[in-house]
Amino acid sequence: FFCTIMAAVRRHKRVAAAQPGFLPVKSSLDGNSSVIKPRKRVNKNKKKSWNKFSDIQDVEEFLDDVRLQERATGGLISEKTDDSLFFVDTGETDEKDTQARKCKHSKPLRIDLILQPDSHIPAPKNILAFQQPNAKKQRRISENAAKLAAKGVLPRREKLLQLRRAAAASGVSVKEHPVANNNPDRAFYDLWSAGTPETADPYYLEQTKKKLVKRPDRLNEKPSVLPAIEVIAPGGSYNPDFFSHQDLLREAHEVEVKKQKAEEKLARQLAVNEDKATEVQPLTICYGQISKNLQVKKCLLKAERQVIDKQQQLFQLRSIHTSLKKQEQRTKMRQAQRKAQQEAQKSMPRRLSRLKFQTPDLDVQLSDELASSLRSLKPEGSILKDRFKSLQKRNIIEPRERARFKRKYKLKYSEKRAFREIE
Amino acid sequence: MGGLQKKKYESGSATNYVSRNKARKKLSLSLADFRRLCILKGIYPHEPKHKKKVNKGSTAPRTFYLLKDIRFLLHEPVVGKFREYKIFVRKLRKAYGKAEWSGVERMKENKPVYKLDHIIKERYPTFIDALRDVDDALSMCFLFSTFARTGKCHVQTIQLCRRLGVEWMNYIIDLRSLRKVFLSIKGIYYQAEVLGQTITWIVPYQFAHDHPTDVDYRVMATFTELYTTLLGFVNFRLYQTLNLVYPPKLDGQGEFNLKSECEEDYALESESYSEKLSALSASLARTVPLVEDEEAEPDHFPAEGEDLETMEAREKIELEQNKQKKLFEGLKFFLNREVPRESLAFLIRCFGGQVSWDKSLCIGSTYDETDEMITHHIVDRPTIDKQYINRYYIQPQWVYDCVNAKILLPVEEYFLGVTLPPHLSPFVEESEGDYVPPEKLKLLALQRGEKPREETEEEEEGDEEEEDEDDEEEDDQSEEEDEAEDEANLAEMEEKRAQGKRLSVKVTPGKVKQENRMRTEQEEKAEEKRLAIMMMKKKEKYLYDKIMFGKKRNVREANKLAAKRKAHDDANKADKKQNKKKKC
Repeated sequence: FFCTIMAAVRRHKRVAAAQPGFLPVKSSLDGNSSVIKPRKRVNKNKKKSWNKFSDIQDVEEFLDDVRLQERATGGLISEKTDDSLFFVDTGETDEKDTQARKCKHSKPLRIDLILQPDSHIPAPKNILAFQQPNAKKQRRISENAAKLAAKGVLPRREKLLQLRRAAAASGVSVKEHPVANNNPDRAFYDLWSAGTPETADPYYLEQTKKKLVKRPDRLNEKPSVLPAIEVIAPGGSYNPDFFSHQDLLREAHEVEVKKQKAEEKLARQLAVNEDKATEVQPLTICYGQISKNLQVKKCLLKAERQVIDKQQQLFQLRSIHTSLKKQEQRTKMRQAQRKAQQEAQKSMPRRLSRLKFQTPDLDVQLSDELASSLRSLKPEGSILKDRFKSLQKRNIIEPRERARFKRKYKLKYSEKRAFREIE
Repeated sequence: MGGLQKKKYESGSATNYVSRNKARKKLSLSLADFRRLCILKGIYPHEPKHKKKVNKGSTAPRTFYLLKDIRFLLHEPVVGKFREYKIFVRKLRKAYGKAEWSGVERMKENKPVYKLDHIIKERYPTFIDALRDVDDALSMCFLFSTFARTGKCHVQTIQLCRRLGVEWMNYIIDLRSLRKVFLSIKGIYYQAEVLGQTITWIVPYQFAHDHPTDVDYRVMATFTELYTTLLGFVNFRLYQTLNLVYPPKLDGQGEFNLKSECEEDYALESESYSEKLSALSASLARTVPLVEDEEAEPDHFPAEGEDLETMEAREKIELEQNKQKKLFEGLKFFLNREVPRESLAFLIRCFGGQVSWDKSLCIGSTYDETDEMITHHIVDRPTIDKQYINRYYIQPQWVYDCVNAKILLPVEEYFLGVTLPPHLSPFVEESEGDYVPPEKLKLLALQRGEKPREETEEEEEGDEEEEDEDDEEEDDQSEEEDEAEDEANLAEMEEKRAQGKRLSVKVTPGKVKQENRMRTEQEEKAEEKRLAIMMMKKKEKYLYDKIMFGKKRNVREANKLAAKRKAHDDANKADKKQNKKKKC
């Protein structure tokens, strides 16, 4: 607005100066004013030259006046009625009228009327206030919602609300808690029933992880040939037969004897025998330098001996035969032994971790511990331990020991001041 | 070096195995979670053949897993649940630390849980596979159900184990398929036959026991988790095969009987119901009601691949089994307070008997001590005050021995205060020539229908009666086996000694001895054999002696043991005599 005014003023200045018959402000005071220069011809076809050389000031003034009137006074004043502009002051007041209308129709205050906006130009709209970045999306959503509502489909919120209301009325909890695996009241179903065959595309099922990966067959083999439950020997009965009990005792005894022997061996090895003085072994210096002649002679002799031996072998056929037989027997025996060992290895527990598998102690009750009746029986051994060891024996878990508590920093003990004072 | 040379430890067994820590890092799980996952999925560590190759030069003992197994584990949905649980624990701890109690409550309600159904289906694709693994599961479940409910391991697990154990026992009772039972110092072993599979399990005694400290409880709890799920599904399927309602409900008649007594003692109806089920005294409800037919004889059709002999053998076995199922039919038992109630109730019901106990002991007792129709009263005390006339007072071992022997044993040896015969293990199969304890011989004799000779009242004769019995049995055996001649000799010698004691020297007219034709034939054969042996060449004789020596080894040992046993029994009898003399 301001720029156009300034532009008009500038134009005004430029235009005015070029017009004929215009008295410039700085007219020369000498007598040359009688010489009037010839008017320059200008071309007003283009916008630029038109803007430069035409004067629209009067029109602009008029238009500005009109706009001002429309803005400020509510329309052209010339078009307003006489009553709105003027009133005839007669000096009388209609008291009757005012009393009648006091209570019901009270006229608005004059000052309020004056202050009413009566401009023809409305206030400009604040577009930014009406802008919504996702107006289209919201419109689409509301249209869809309207369509669904027309069909009768409830939105999720309403559905859940209804469910909640119904549940609250009947007293059942709505939230579906998944049942824990070790819940004592959990339900079971027929897991091995044929069920409905999968109708969807196998590739789709695989990609969406609805079908589980196939388990390799190697994992279905048992890691050990031992049976799951090994029944204790007949000597382990609560009221055992004499000989079977003795057998079991003997086995336990042998285990203990072995342990004791190992201990004794260790003690023997560690014992320092101070009676025997350390004997110094005389160093045998070996003269390995045999002369070359001797070596050659030795080789010749060896070759001769070999030839003779070969000849003599003809007479040693029988002994050769027997030695061969012995060798064959030995190899057969060794083969059988190796096979037996391999078979035994299958039932032995594998070395699966840092610790070796410790066979559990035999559960056996000594003869004076045997119960005379079922009531006085004191159970021996713990089935928990037995099962744990059995799992290790069958290579299902690796032998593990309890993790010891290792202190990172050493414990420091200090006396409290009170205690120090006592002493 | 050139780039085309093969580097060490880049292919072959070194890349097939992966150590435990590497596997754990690959799955990004903690060690406890990794162990749990391996146990649930059935992934076991392997010992490689060439440890040096796999361990890249060192022989340090490490735990190795197959790399393909670990890759298979990556697809398991339970792994995600483990990770969720870890995050849940972290959030919970934060909420606790900030003292946001409402948040804590909310989170506890939404605790992430996982299910193992798909793992069971994957590991045991058919029902028979599951049945094969069920004895391990059973032992674990029975073990856990005896744990104290202190909270060290989830109380819910213990309750679930108890429920499943009771369901299984009820099923076995209904199927009547228990075959062997053995009371050992560790626990009670049972063996039953279910759908052609032999299932053995062990049940611990009900007394309180200390828990060993070197057992990893977390591992055992994980196994129990897996096994309870497996057992639950197996139970469902088994109940289905017998047309029983699952979860089990008591039969209308049984429920009525039980309802009349002590309903007020139990606060929760569900608790009292589960207790009634665990009492094992009433039968279960069926989906399809049983129609009591008359027992029709099954048609004799040989199965494929069987000839007449095997078919007959099989039918014979079936007949025996049917007879065994009705072992205690018609008998009424009453259990005193100090006997193991559950085990005995299970056994007795399994073989068709009726059982009850004192009302104050446990819910589910059907009749009282004062019932006149009770035939056997099971007591474990040295004496009992009040004695009814028309019932036997016996020790509990009688029931177990009867079940193992498959016949009703004579009750006299199991009276109160009597030294019980040893409880033999039914799981031992003795081959010919091995030592057979005389109790077992007696048992076999009883089974065959031979009754022991009636005992006279004089103790001296009682001595040789025993020997005579042994002699009889031994004689029977020697007729069958030629190699048991030594045993017969021993017995004959003892008989002679006994007769020497008994008979005074007399001269009596001769009796005509009737010739036993069979005996003479056998004697002739024996003579021929002896002649042939005498005629053998030295070398052959040497070989023959060696073979015979080896064969007779067992027999010799058995004889040694028999002699020792006799000596022991004699010593016992001598002690008894001395004691009696002292008393008098």
